[in-house]
Amino acid sequence: MKRILAQCIKELAQFRRDRLTVALAILLPLATLFIFGFAIRLEATNIPIVIQDLNNSPLSRSYIEQLMATNQFQPTRWENNIVEALERGIANAGAIIPPDFDAQINSNQPTTIQVLIDGTDANNARIIQNSFRATTNAFLQTSGIQQEQPNIVARIRIWFNPGRRESLYIVPGVYGVILWIYPSLLAAIAMVREKERGTILQVYASSLTAAELLLGKGLAYFLIGIAQAIVIISLGSLLFQLSFAVEPTAFILGTSLYLWTSVLFGLLIGVRASNQNAAVQGVATIGFLSSLLLSGFIYPLSNIPFPLSLISSILPARYYIELSRDAFVRGTGWIGVWFIPLVLIVIGLLLFNTARKALSRMQLPY
Amino acid sequence: MKFLIHLLESRFWALCIKEINQIIRNKQLLFLLLFPPTVQLLIFGFALNADVQNLKLGIVDYANTYESRELVAALTENQIFIPQNYSLSQEEIAQQVRLGQITAGLVIPPEFNRDLAQNRTAEVQVIIDGVDANTAGIASGYATQIVNQYSRSLDENLTPPLVQAQSVFFYNPGLLSSWFLVPGVLGTVITLTSTLVSSTTLVREKDSGTLEQLLMTPADAWEILLAKIAPLFVLLMGDILLALSVARIVFRVPLQGSLLLFLTLGGLYLFVGIGFGLMLATLAKNQQQVVLTSFFINLPLIQLSGAIAPIESMPVFFQYLSLLNPLRHFVAISRGILLKGVGIDILFPHVLALFTFVVVLLTVSVNRFRSQLS
Repeated sequence: MKRILAQCIKELAQFRRDRLTVALAILLPLATLFIFGFAIRLEATNIPIVIQDLNNSPLSRSYIEQLMATNQFQPTRWENNIVEALERGIANAGAIIPPDFDAQINSNQPTTIQVLIDGTDANNARIIQNSFRATTNAFLQTSGIQQEQPNIVARIRIWFNPGRRESLYIVPGVYGVILWIYPSLLAAIAMVREKERGTILQVYASSLTAAELLLGKGLAYFLIGIAQAIVIISLGSLLFQLSFAVEPTAFILGTSLYLWTSVLFGLLIGVRASNQNAAVQGVATIGFLSSLLLSGFIYPLSNIPFPLSLISSILPARYYIELSRDAFVRGTGWIGVWFIPLVLIVIGLLLFNTARKALSRMQLPY
Repeated sequence: MKFLIHLLESRFWALCIKEINQIIRNKQLLFLLLFPPTVQLLIFGFALNADVQNLKLGIVDYANTYESRELVAALTENQIFIPQNYSLSQEEIAQQVRLGQITAGLVIPPEFNRDLAQNRTAEVQVIIDGVDANTAGIASGYATQIVNQYSRSLDENLTPPLVQAQSVFFYNPGLLSSWFLVPGVLGTVITLTSTLVSSTTLVREKDSGTLEQLLMTPADAWEILLAKIAPLFVLLMGDILLALSVARIVFRVPLQGSLLLFLTLGGLYLFVGIGFGLMLATLAKNQQQVVLTSFFINLPLIQLSGAIAPIESMPVFFQYLSLLNPLRHFVAISRGILLKGVGIDILFPHVLALFTFVVVLLTVSVNRFRSQLS
């Protein structure tokens, strides 16, 4: 125990002396928080659109007004061909209201509004199409052209996040990404640096066991990780107005366990890699890709296709993001997330054991 | 002409051959050129999928009549909602939503049929898990639409709607989300690889002190740099072809525009990456710092490029900020040529922007490099 602590203190002292690494340890997570928290928005608003109103009657103008009231579109001026506006990316959609729009309606004849949509962004394209359909329906109802009592209506209630604030979904996920990448990155660098400088040989020659070495280094980066977690979570919650939806014991315990698995993952890569470059790249690429793409951070987990979904099910980030979203948005607490700390413990133990074995194979028999 | 003669006579060629030999022997570099781009492209393309589909739906049908079952069928027929379970009580459904076991719950009340028969509006309740705000919004739109459609189909003597919005989709008629992501990720992959490869080759020489030896030779600084960049450029062009092949073969992304134009502009963009790499190499003292700082630069570069999340949905400030992002312009070029098939006449603002970046980046980093050498 004493040796673990000594190792930990030595590691912290070494960390403090490397100014650039300390700066990056603070700046990188903060930058990630800001960029992801502010810039990742999936819901489309202010989609640029060109409208050619060939009718220009009170009816057609009220249709356009209704369309703009959805707040999804931003009218753009464009005099030429609509297709050209799509090609140039000036607008994502164009609508043509036919010249006989009001005449057709007044004589009770059906009329069609042509909508040309840039399908490059498939998701956006679908939203634009749905928005036009919904607007057209609403227009028929509110303008009194075709008022029909619908037979069935759906009363929709959105739970947990009735205002559908996107930051409530993104920011708890950002916590998961940040606390996965950075503690592991720092731990990996620390481990591999010792190898590159050759100081690991001194460790091998000493009576320190592999487990003690891992625990000592791990503890140091665990503490740094906790500092990062406190800064990121409190600042993020303040900035994006998040608050706990349930008493946070499960979240606090889960966060600590998650930081441990993150640090152990970094140490394992550090033990395995032969040089710093490979280590950092390994952690950066594997950790970043997996926590960003396979964790359900941006799009729902159910969208990940089969062989990749297997990888996703062994990713700690996937479980932690679930836990974090529960703590800040859903709020079921222990009943809903009891298995997550257990999963994290199992993954942590596996990582620890693998790293310990890899290390002790290189160590002299004591 | 004078320049050409100068070039032909210079030590550039000897240095170039030395570089090529070094690259061929460097297994790690070759690995870096082949493996990460392919894997990144595959994972990005397969894992990121914006479609709202396969939402687990819990159903409690108190009415249990022909009409109510038809409504359930209408709701679940096109893969948006997948019936997960049928429950006996509303409380059970509510609990399942709360625990995240289902994403949506449908409750059909017992008076559903009575209301329909008496020509009153029948109400059904849909509960949607709003944790994922975007999915919830789209799902609620779909639910409303499907119920509307079903509702209309029940009424035989209904007139068709007087106004209809008819949509035509350009460039991606099948609305495949991989067609949107892959051309963007292609740009991302090129940025990551070119920055990393060029910075590590330079820094390694700095690390091991061989750069000083090079300086002792009678070669000029520009000859040393050009000899380093030229073989890398050729290799990275190979990377662009590799990424393009993956996009075409695996994801069946079309190539509507000119291949030559794509390769030319891809080559231009490579200089942005190489410029970044040079800059990093002058900033950092060792490889570890290079990788950390490249991480620091690449993260915002990717996030603010529109490669993953559309630019239009970002806050306005970030939209303007993204204009200063070379990757944003390359993503626009890549989508323009691959999907839209547009030419240089439409892409020229982006080309101009890229050109400016190349000039600025290369000037600054070459100057820094030179001053560090002397």
